[in-house]
Amino acid sequence: MSAGAARGTARAAGPDLVELLSDRELIVCCGSGGVGKTTVSATLALAMVQAYDIRVIVLTVDPARRLASALGIGAMGVDPVVVPQARLRRAGIRPRGELVAAMLDTKSSWDRLVERHAPSRLSMERILSNPFYASISDAFVGGNEYMAMEELYELHQGREYDLVVVDTPPSRSALDFLEAPRRMSDFVGGRLLSWLARPSRAGWRAVNVAATPFVRIADRLLGSEVLAELAEFVRELQGMYAGVQAQAREVDRLLRSPAAGFVVVTTLEPQPFEEAEFFCTKLREYGMPLQAFVVNRMLPAELVDPAAAAAATAMVEHDRERAAALSTALGERVGAQTVHRLGEAWLTLHRLAVLHERQVARLRGLDDLPVARLALAEHEVVDLEGLAQLIAGLRGRAT
Amino acid sequence: MAGKGGTGKTTLAAALALVAARRGKRVLCIEVDAKGDLPRTLGSTPLGFEPRVVQPHISCLSFNAEEALAEYLKLYFKVPRFARLTPLARVFDFAASGVPGAKDVLVIGKIAFEEKRLEGSRHAWDLIIVDTEATGHVLPQLNAARAMMELVKGGIILGQVRWIDQILSDPQRTLLTICALPEDMPVTEAIELHDRALAETRIAVGACFLNRCFPLTITARQLRPLELAVTSAARRRTVSAALRADPQALLVGARLGQRLGTATQVHLRRLRAHMSCPVLEIPMRAGSREGLATARMVAASLAEPTT
Repeated sequence: MSAGAARGTARAAGPDLVELLSDRELIVCCGSGGVGKTTVSATLALAMVQAYDIRVIVLTVDPARRLASALGIGAMGVDPVVVPQARLRRAGIRPRGELVAAMLDTKSSWDRLVERHAPSRLSMERILSNPFYASISDAFVGGNEYMAMEELYELHQGREYDLVVVDTPPSRSALDFLEAPRRMSDFVGGRLLSWLARPSRAGWRAVNVAATPFVRIADRLLGSEVLAELAEFVRELQGMYAGVQAQAREVDRLLRSPAAGFVVVTTLEPQPFEEAEFFCTKLREYGMPLQAFVVNRMLPAELVDPAAAAAATAMVEHDRERAAALSTALGERVGAQTVHRLGEAWLTLHRLAVLHERQVARLRGLDDLPVARLALAEHEVVDLEGLAQLIAGLRGRAT
Repeated sequence: MAGKGGTGKTTLAAALALVAARRGKRVLCIEVDAKGDLPRTLGSTPLGFEPRVVQPHISCLSFNAEEALAEYLKLYFKVPRFARLTPLARVFDFAASGVPGAKDVLVIGKIAFEEKRLEGSRHAWDLIIVDTEATGHVLPQLNAARAMMELVKGGIILGQVRWIDQILSDPQRTLLTICALPEDMPVTEAIELHDRALAETRIAVGACFLNRCFPLTITARQLRPLELAVTSAARRRTVSAALRADPQALLVGARLGQRLGTATQVHLRRLRAHMSCPVLEIPMRAGSREGLATARMVAASLAEPTT
């Protein structure tokens, strides 16, 4: 617990993420599902256009509907939309730059990947119409993560924006996301696929049937029709290998370059928090530029004030006596029940806040990583006004 | 147990297991994403694919696609584990990451297999609790058997996926439960999941848990004394002396409590108006980092539901 928090005054000023990230060309916000990645990335983008005369695009994967419509990207919106300046000003932001918002649609990203890398038009059509392709984007582990990265790469290469802020899809685990580029090139080009797709005039089955029990088993399992379709699909994918691998290598290189910056977002619930810590360690291990840690939905510092905690305990344990004291001080009758209830509510949140403070204190062991704290908003953040209120927290101004 | 990440699914899964075990049921918990959170929450270390006892009457296993395939082949084809399977294992590697639903079918197949597992002449488990992945991937998973039925036109698998589908679509045997938090987005998503499960799958929805409900409601009138106390510097000083604490610090917490209590009521109403199943409120706890303690507290509130 910091000295400031212990006194119940505002917490010590935190790092200014806007300044910290001002030299980046792309920012990746990552963390577990439900911790507010979209909110943080949108706030960061907003803070950037408020501070600098730059063009910023915020690319979100799975925004809350009301937040999406606040940014002007409805359920239909795949194309980037400029957030009107008047709308920003109404939310209390005087923008110097321009904010653009877009939503990532992974299915159409998969199609674009095929369109870009298939060796011929015919091959492209064969892949797109293969029954195995239909749900590949759902099934491929790390696929959505890779699509987000590739989209980011394309936007960065396009040079249309000074800064790209992306929020990552909720990953099964942090690793899926970091390993996505490598997995993608492995997937399309691995030795296994070569083996499966080994072309043969005699047909795919004849080559292997004598050698292993594999085909026999697979045949009994799935029926031979399916195997033929699968082999066909694999052969087509092989044609894409060179293109995808080159691109995946580029994406990977960009993410490790100083043009990129990673921000890990978490709440103080034990599971997301642990995952975030793990994520930080991994990012460093992978040589990715980890820039900051954002703790979202912090309880207000007042809740760890020891004097207030003592007062609240007294309000619960000696409610009549405290009610009498309060009545005298206010010159107005206050019921014991009211005093009791207020104390109880305060203590319920106090216990949680104490745990949270301990957790953040523990995090400081993570070298000198800047830690920004975002206070639990007065209301759920669903509009630009709500985002605007979070800017102070990201800029390290005491909450 | 389905629901977005961060809604407390794993803790609830563990709590349900504790409640059932206390009532004498033999429980199997299956963790699909194999991160080890569920066995940890049940006071154990991360586990493998073989069910292991973690608490009295509770066993747990972490799903592993490769081992699931090996087990499957051994059972149905008498293929000894890891013998001459290298090419197959490698094909599987590809299939698990790329072929639609291959892993999903294995997940659902393993669950169905455990459902039928016998110990002597009776079923090995009275209750199987599945902690699904955090990605909202549960609907394709539930539909994997049906999707496979359309993709596979023959072979042994066809019969097996039919059998899996029967277990899933029997409300006497399988129920989907949904976790949510008293906030706008998680509740919207829970409602969507409920609607889509009804429309797109044949599984029945059994219950919805609203986790981390603020246990108290505070009215505007109850808040008034603290608001009044900070209306002037003089008043604030007088009240500070009387309470021996700054009323502003108390007000900030009480206001937040009021907001959370109201949100809890609003979202409970919303869920109850929409869901075709019971909605249970799980009170907010100052959970420690120790998962089992938290799961026990949640189990206690599940065993005696608030009215």
